[in-house]
Amino acid sequence: MTNDNRRRHFFINKPLQLRYMVYLTLPLLTITAVIMLALYIGIWGSMLDAFNDERLRTDLLTASRLTEYEQARQPVDGEKNKTLLFFKQAEKLSQRQREVFKEILDNSNEKIIPKFILLMVFIAWGSVYISHKVAGPIYRFDKTLDEVKKGNLRVRIHLRKEDEGQSLAKTFNETLSGLDQTFSKIKNIIRENEADAPKMTSRLKEELSKIKTSADI
Amino acid sequence: MRTFRLLLASGILLIHTFSWPFTGLCYDLSKEDAALLTQIEKDTFQYFPRMSDKLTGLTKDTSRPGSPASIAATGFSLAAIAIGASHQWIPADWAEETLRKTMKTLLTKAQHERGFFYHFLDTKSGRRVWQSEASSIDTALLVAGALVAGQYYPGTDIERMANSLYERVDWKWMMNGTDLICMGWKPETGFLPYYWDTYNEQLILQALAVGSPTHSAGKVAWDTWLRLEDEYQGYNVVYSHSGSLFTYQFPHAFIDFKDLDDAGINYFDNSVQATLANKKYSMSARAEHKAYTENSWGLSASVGPGGYKAYGSKPGEGAHDGTIAPYAAASSIIFTPEESVPALRFFYENYKANLYGHFGFKDAFNLDKRWWADEYLGIDQGITLLMLENFLNDGVIWKKFMPLPAIKRWINLCELRKEE
Repeated sequence: MTNDNRRRHFFINKPLQLRYMVYLTLPLLTITAVIMLALYIGIWGSMLDAFNDERLRTDLLTASRLTEYEQARQPVDGEKNKTLLFFKQAEKLSQRQREVFKEILDNSNEKIIPKFILLMVFIAWGSVYISHKVAGPIYRFDKTLDEVKKGNLRVRIHLRKEDEGQSLAKTFNETLSGLDQTFSKIKNIIRENEADAPKMTSRLKEELSKIKTSADI
Repeated sequence: MRTFRLLLASGILLIHTFSWPFTGLCYDLSKEDAALLTQIEKDTFQYFPRMSDKLTGLTKDTSRPGSPASIAATGFSLAAIAIGASHQWIPADWAEETLRKTMKTLLTKAQHERGFFYHFLDTKSGRRVWQSEASSIDTALLVAGALVAGQYYPGTDIERMANSLYERVDWKWMMNGTDLICMGWKPETGFLPYYWDTYNEQLILQALAVGSPTHSAGKVAWDTWLRLEDEYQGYNVVYSHSGSLFTYQFPHAFIDFKDLDDAGINYFDNSVQATLANKKYSMSARAEHKAYTENSWGLSASVGPGGYKAYGSKPGEGAHDGTIAPYAAASSIIFTPEESVPALRFFYENYKANLYGHFGFKDAFNLDKRWWADEYLGIDQGITLLMLENFLNDGVIWKKFMPLPAIKRWINLCELRKEE
């Protein structure tokens, strides 16, 4: 069993589809790039800076100094003090490194979150803008068809320059114009031949023969 | 007779006129010494504007790269900036702006617990670093510096902010339900297992804690700590555990103890005795250490060849290894000018190339190991500056600090006024 509705070509309207691909791809690429950059600069950049040789050396010296301050203020007896000193320095350095990691993550979050919010605003605006380009014409078509349904063949679709569906609207307007002309012609035949019924019938038949309808089957 | 009186009066006036600018608290200075001390004070002062963050005003603990901000050094910095402006070493508007900025940082940004600042802060963000403790003594030094700065600008927002910093501190909480003040508190472990239970630099902490208008520690805090007394070669001293000179100096930068009596103890005289004992102690070891000479003395907590140590003399632990800290002699200048002025001249004239830099004397030296410190410590710079300022300018810091209502309250509550 074959599916007759299956689409054989992915590109039905190539320019339209390509345009929408760009519309979707660009924001996605921007988001990815911003997040990647923020992560790289925020985390890895800070990490490389925090753990370069110079920083490690100064951190080691500071750990040693702060431990010595504590020893000076809260003295422990001599031998015990010497044994503990190394471990206390190591503990201080490790505490500091945890602080540095936390600082880096906090700073990265602080940097990423506003950027992320800005991107969300940009995406929200972008999606409204893009959908408006499609939703606007659909609305116009809907309203125009409503008028046609009521019997008004003088209406036309007017789209904005940047709206999608320009060619469809053009064809639709041409169709409406054709129908309008046909019905106008019929109305004129009736108006001009009110006194001559056979002539009116003959001209109406001639005119209606140009139109294909279900009644012709 | 009349002519004689006139000549005598003129003579006195003449002597007074020439000696007046060079008189350091009851000690006549030569022009050369006065000039040298002024230069040391001015150079020492430079540490504070240069080592403080431009945005937050927080001051680095040491001049070493990577040093965090120290809250005590920041306190000294506040006083220093006000002093610098009073001498026109820095522009007046810059000084006021810096004081405002720093106090605003301290009130709104710097991490604290019930008003007690963490000992070490990030210079840029004011956040606690190195898992340091919320420190009682360092907060006291900060508040003392802020109050001094406030007194240089009475009636201004600088004074109001200084008072706010002080009033916010919950000294009673730091007693942890005991009769003594705890050394500190950490969020991870709570109160440290150490209390200010003997004599040392804590007198400034006691004065501010007892005199607090909002969260007083009460008289019990002052009464409870031990006054341990001992004698070293004829010098009787209520001594600190380490015997480090700084423990006899820090409170005296702010409080004039000359007229205060604590049940028979005069802490000014005590510091005179302690300084003389400190010098005597190093003299007794001059055969073992090259740096110990008649005019080269001063055993106090400082950096040394083996790191930072609480060097000191007896009475007390008396740990020493031949390392001399010039700031110790400088900061005892109000106690022993006859000893300190020649010491400073000696250091300057003999060791200038290795020991003296942009910010005055570097922290310490040790001739046995041919070692010279290559850094300055904020609190050692601070105590040097304030003591020289008191000495050279007729106790100006004391005159600003002693009339504070909190100090009067502490004196009255603890009955420290010397009876006439």
